[in-house]
Amino acid sequence: MSDRRDTLKIIGAIGTTCAFPFSADELYGQQAPAHDHASETPAQAAAMPAKPVFFTDKEFDTVKALADLIIPPTDTPGAVQAGVPFYIDYVVNSNESWKKLFREGLAWLEEAAGISNGKRFHMLDEETQIGILTPLVKSADRWKTGSKSTPALEVRFMKAFKSMTADGYFTSKAGLVDALGYKGNTVLSEFPTCIHEH
Amino acid sequence: MPGKTYDVVIVGSGASGGTLSAHLARQGVDVLLLEGGPKVNTRTDFNTHAMPFQFPNRHIPTMKPGKAGFDSERTRGIGGKSLTWNAVAWRYSARDFKGKTYEGAGEDWPFEYKDIAPYYSTVEKEVGVCGNRDGLEDLPDGEFLPPVPMKCSDEIVKKGATKLGVKVIHVRKATLSRAAFNRPACHFCGNCMAGCDVVAKYNSADVHIVPAQRTGKLEVRHNAIAREVIVNNENKVTGVRYIDRETKAEGEVSARSVVVSCACVQSVALLLMSKSRLYPNGLANSSGHLGKNFIPHFTGGVQCFLGELIGKPVTNDEGFLDHAYVPSFMHNRKRDYARSFGIQFNYQNRRAVGWARDIAGFGPSYKKAVKDRYPAFLTFSPYGEMLPNPKSFIDLDWEKKDAWGLPLARRNVFWGDNDWKIFHDMTDWSRRILEASGAEILAVSDEPRTNHELGGCRMGKDPKTSVLNEWCQSHDVKNLFVVDGSVFPSASEKNPTHTMMALAARTAVYMAEQLKKGAL
Repeated sequence: MSDRRDTLKIIGAIGTTCAFPFSADELYGQQAPAHDHASETPAQAAAMPAKPVFFTDKEFDTVKALADLIIPPTDTPGAVQAGVPFYIDYVVNSNESWKKLFREGLAWLEEAAGISNGKRFHMLDEETQIGILTPLVKSADRWKTGSKSTPALEVRFMKAFKSMTADGYFTSKAGLVDALGYKGNTVLSEFPTCIHEH
Repeated sequence: MPGKTYDVVIVGSGASGGTLSAHLARQGVDVLLLEGGPKVNTRTDFNTHAMPFQFPNRHIPTMKPGKAGFDSERTRGIGGKSLTWNAVAWRYSARDFKGKTYEGAGEDWPFEYKDIAPYYSTVEKEVGVCGNRDGLEDLPDGEFLPPVPMKCSDEIVKKGATKLGVKVIHVRKATLSRAAFNRPACHFCGNCMAGCDVVAKYNSADVHIVPAQRTGKLEVRHNAIAREVIVNNENKVTGVRYIDRETKAEGEVSARSVVVSCACVQSVALLLMSKSRLYPNGLANSSGHLGKNFIPHFTGGVQCFLGELIGKPVTNDEGFLDHAYVPSFMHNRKRDYARSFGIQFNYQNRRAVGWARDIAGFGPSYKKAVKDRYPAFLTFSPYGEMLPNPKSFIDLDWEKKDAWGLPLARRNVFWGDNDWKIFHDMTDWSRRILEASGAEILAVSDEPRTNHELGGCRMGKDPKTSVLNEWCQSHDVKNLFVVDGSVFPSASEKNPTHTMMALAARTAVYMAEQLKKGAL
């Protein structure tokens, strides 16, 4: 804290609306070239592309397996059904450091899966996959953004992967509306009073 | 553009410039409003009812790119930031105007609450402000439309806060809770800051500027990016030079008086750019105080889940974002700092679920943990008053130019000891109130963030330590005015726009009189 106290900040721009204090309020995707489309008119953006832009087919197999392990299909859709792997591809493709992190992170995962013995992560049985993932996610969860230490490559990768999976899933129609049950963005004549019993 | 000399040219069409232009035009003054951005049709140009999955990057944009004025640095377009504000509208209190007198901290305003109170009323009666009359010393009541009911989560926080002797009140907003002024009531879609498409929320373009144009006294020139306020050898300003945003052609307008209302930092930047033989360090800067005393609000934040709502059915509680508020309560409590803070809360939108990243684990249990917490998520954003200090100022970076060749403004911010004390105390109080409300705390912000740009061109009685007098009129150049957040000598902890609008209404009366007398 003490070094922060002495920091003089030079700020380029203050947001034009209210400032939210948490980085997680800003999705990774917002830093992606916001508009490679000609306009910001709501697009049929949900339409999934045929192929990933950045990931190779082999990498994409792993991305899909990982995404569905983090958010699996249950009584509501899972990450793959929600198009999360393509969202991750879109975001990672926009940033050189993410490209590097994801390429190396996915390679690390294949090593852990035993690629030298011809095994690939997405082909492992679920129990083995979960066994690899559990300590990784634990370390990633413990690592808070902004903390001074830089953890190992695979932990940084998992932190980014889980965050992007959460972002992509919970902003998709399947995640936000079907799974979470979002009910807003409607026209009401009166603001509804509370239905809960307190 | 030769020919006509206007009574007044106003640079900037946001809440301040918009209010001022309408008030002057109604009093028969000939006004030209220069706006750096394009026309905006608030009924069709916003992505008001969008969902994140309609965009490849999942971000709901505030404006279409056809409206290129709307970037992160500046909000150019008729209506300015009033198009995308959250419409929170407080009156500043007697104490807010007299920090130095009460506590020896910061700077006094050159007038008192009673001098501006009638203009708060004027604004409330013409734009519509909803709220409850709470009878609080530090948050004066106004002439309100009925308040909007609190959210379920607000009621839970209110119960928790009450245990600690802290009040929670209805928010006050320049958004219509009932149809009025030929505008419909709010329909609670939760998209206020993406731009309201029915003008239930105040914006200066639809509420002030368009109706004032019907008087025939107000002209608007779009896409005119001001680059210099011109001063002659008789120490009078004579007009404004501008660059066409699209063609980059140079233009010029003549006027008997000039008002700069470009949203705080940009107003200061325009005056600093306007160098002349008389004012080599920026126009109206004989005091050397132009750019100094930059005092934006600082915010903290706590994210949490209300225990009572975890696992409860999801309801439609987007509303008009925040419905409740914790008004300043520290002035009458013992503390080791000057000034105070207030807490805005629950202004998140349920379409943003960024917090899901920070829920532990993966797999079905992770998915369920997020779903259970979804209806219970809540944010607290306390706002503190920053005191002026020599290391916080606005200047120009002559090395870095924008697309029109104008130097970029630089905001230098340094938080002093008093600011840090408020920051820590408002963070502690936020946590205590939430814990008393049965909340599971997810994250606590440990560093202030700036919001609501204020100061840099302050008003005051002493021409040696201030740039403007109490009428927002330059001490140096009698026919130059500045009306926006830059003129605030002290920031209060309260959202500032209502006070800017009241100042604009007050300044309009003075300017019209002075013009009539031929004194400008």
